[in-house]
Amino acid sequence: MGVPFDYAPDRPEHIDAILNGLDRYNPETTAVFQEYVVQQCDQKFYDCYANLALLKLYQFNPHLTKDETITNILVKSLTVFPSPDFSLALHLLPPHILTPASASSALPAAGDAPLSEAVQKLNVLNNLLAQASYAAFWSTLDSDDLYADLTADVAGFDELIRIRIALTISQSVREIERSVLESWLGMQGDAFDKFVKDVCGWEIEGTVVKVPLNKENEAKGTVVRENVKMEQFSRVIRRAYEQPA
Amino acid sequence: MSGFQNGGTPARMIDDDSDVEEEALAADYREQVQYEGMDEMDGGSMSMAQQTDDIQSRLAAAAQPLDFSAPLEVKFSSYDNYCSLFHFILNSEGPVDLEPPSYYWAWDVIDEFIYQFNSFCSYRNRVARQGNNEEEITVLREAPNTWGCYSVLNVLYSLIQRSQINEQLAAMKRNEEPMAVAGDYGSKPLYRMLGYFSIIGLLRVHCLLGDFSLALKTLDDIELNKKAMFARVMAAHFTTYYYVGFSYMMMRRYADAIRMFSHILIYVSRTKNFQKNAQYDSITKKNDQMYALIAICVAFHPTRLDDTIHTALREKYGDQLLKLQRGGPESLPIFEELFRASCPKFISPTPPDFDNPELNVDPLEHHLAIFMDEVKTNMWSPTVKSYLRLYTTMDLKKLAGFLEVEPEKLRGWLLVNKQRSRQIRWTDNGLLDGEIVGSGDLDYAMQGDLIHISEAKVGRKLVDWYLRNLARTY
Repeated sequence: MGVPFDYAPDRPEHIDAILNGLDRYNPETTAVFQEYVVQQCDQKFYDCYANLALLKLYQFNPHLTKDETITNILVKSLTVFPSPDFSLALHLLPPHILTPASASSALPAAGDAPLSEAVQKLNVLNNLLAQASYAAFWSTLDSDDLYADLTADVAGFDELIRIRIALTISQSVREIERSVLESWLGMQGDAFDKFVKDVCGWEIEGTVVKVPLNKENEAKGTVVRENVKMEQFSRVIRRAYEQPA
Repeated sequence: MSGFQNGGTPARMIDDDSDVEEEALAADYREQVQYEGMDEMDGGSMSMAQQTDDIQSRLAAAAQPLDFSAPLEVKFSSYDNYCSLFHFILNSEGPVDLEPPSYYWAWDVIDEFIYQFNSFCSYRNRVARQGNNEEEITVLREAPNTWGCYSVLNVLYSLIQRSQINEQLAAMKRNEEPMAVAGDYGSKPLYRMLGYFSIIGLLRVHCLLGDFSLALKTLDDIELNKKAMFARVMAAHFTTYYYVGFSYMMMRRYADAIRMFSHILIYVSRTKNFQKNAQYDSITKKNDQMYALIAICVAFHPTRLDDTIHTALREKYGDQLLKLQRGGPESLPIFEELFRASCPKFISPTPPDFDNPELNVDPLEHHLAIFMDEVKTNMWSPTVKSYLRLYTTMDLKKLAGFLEVEPEKLRGWLLVNKQRSRQIRWTDNGLLDGEIVGSGDLDYAMQGDLIHISEAKVGRKLVDWYLRNLARTY
């Protein structure tokens, strides 16, 4: 069940070699990493540890920064919420990136104002997902064309997010109103039926959607008991021999 | 008694083991302190006899703390001194034949080196942000590479590679002789120690730069909780746990963070009677910082703390802890206050933008903002849990009425709390490894609007009490 944070099943060997060597600091490898991010976007896999290495290269060599790659990495990390990946990526971006636009747009020389705007927009999405405000997430996503631009490069973004949302739902829900689930998944009608039945494997009964029982949503009470070992009593027993009463 | 034998918690067993280890460490430290005086005398007389004064005084100088308020020229020249010293150590023909002046020297040098790098970067950023000291701005603008992150990392990585320390540690892990892979450099104590402490230096630098996963990855070959080499130098021991704990906290692995902080704080409280020296003074501040961090972690992840820690925590941060644990918007300023007071002095690795002072935001603000988002996500969990604990089933709309929120909002809170009570927790192997563990003692599931609630009850722990009273009376 446990997978180390730095492990990615689909990582090619040459990327692995860079990550484990000093080449991870070599500005010339940015191109390789950038190419790898494109691959992740196209082929629907994800490698957080490698992406963080690229952000680190940008952190050290700001002149190499490619805005598009940064936003793609962030969008990719949204698709694995509620893991901390998005935040970990944010930590490596320039410190002024989250300061409100009013402060930075006052500066004509601030060349990366568009980037900070994009990052802040994505941060809004991330917070909505983290707070499980899924309905608000979908409406926000639709509210601004910039979001469509930002997520365009990531193949199957909506689908990936939907699967992720479904996963978090299955952890806490046994039955849910169809209308609520529709708003959470941001879809209706046949598409909804199809997704719920085929992708999630849940049942629709009238206006209720039933999630099969799993380890997480059965919520069974347990009693944790003390595990007593003989050794804990060794001192007492020894004393009993040493000082016969 | 047989009734207690089933279903024990593995977590408790781990605690017991580390308890034994701490005892051993504490004993080891006591021994060390007693011999310390002798070591110094030996080292002193040898160096007098064998080494030229010059190189020895340079070695000693490298470990000397630089005054915080030292003028820029001094900071620049200190950088040059480090460069030439490390150049001499790393790039002479073959390993240099030097004995470190003392057992602590290697740690002190790396520690001071990083400290100066850290304070230089903070200073440079501040000068750029305030933008009113033209003279210093000019000087700093002209020397972008002084105390550059590439050169600092270069030193640390070179020391690690030269000494083959990772290979040596890996061999030790396999129970093989480390000297077999140490090479010409690594077999010398000077290189081995410098290499070893450079690993811990890297942990620190990565953490200062906000790269928390890489910080933890750096320690792959070092085994914590064992009689590790760093444990013999108190300050190194302490620093390691602080940065590992902090990195865990930023990766939202609060249980692991608490484990790290608790380990070192217990160790400090057990050994503080033997540390009436300057080393201990510098520790006191970090000590308080770690209590603050534990308070934060416990608020995120309620858990039973070690009694010593719990008592001290209540003494130092009693009021704050209460507010943190209560959650809600009132807890936000407390989270912020404690985070500000106890985080490392974050730095930005590149020279600041002197032309746009406003762009040079203090990196602390950046990391704090990200952290506070997570706090806000979580802030209703304590409220939700405190209510759920009272029922076995509950109607969602009714509960929403109690809490005076929209039912849909509450549904979200319930999902969030459930997600956040699942955490990755370390069990074995590297620090980044771990398994997902449901950490809460409270569990629930929603069936439409009906919330089913169950609690994991902890059976009474009688053995400790029984043994303690037996020992007292018998």
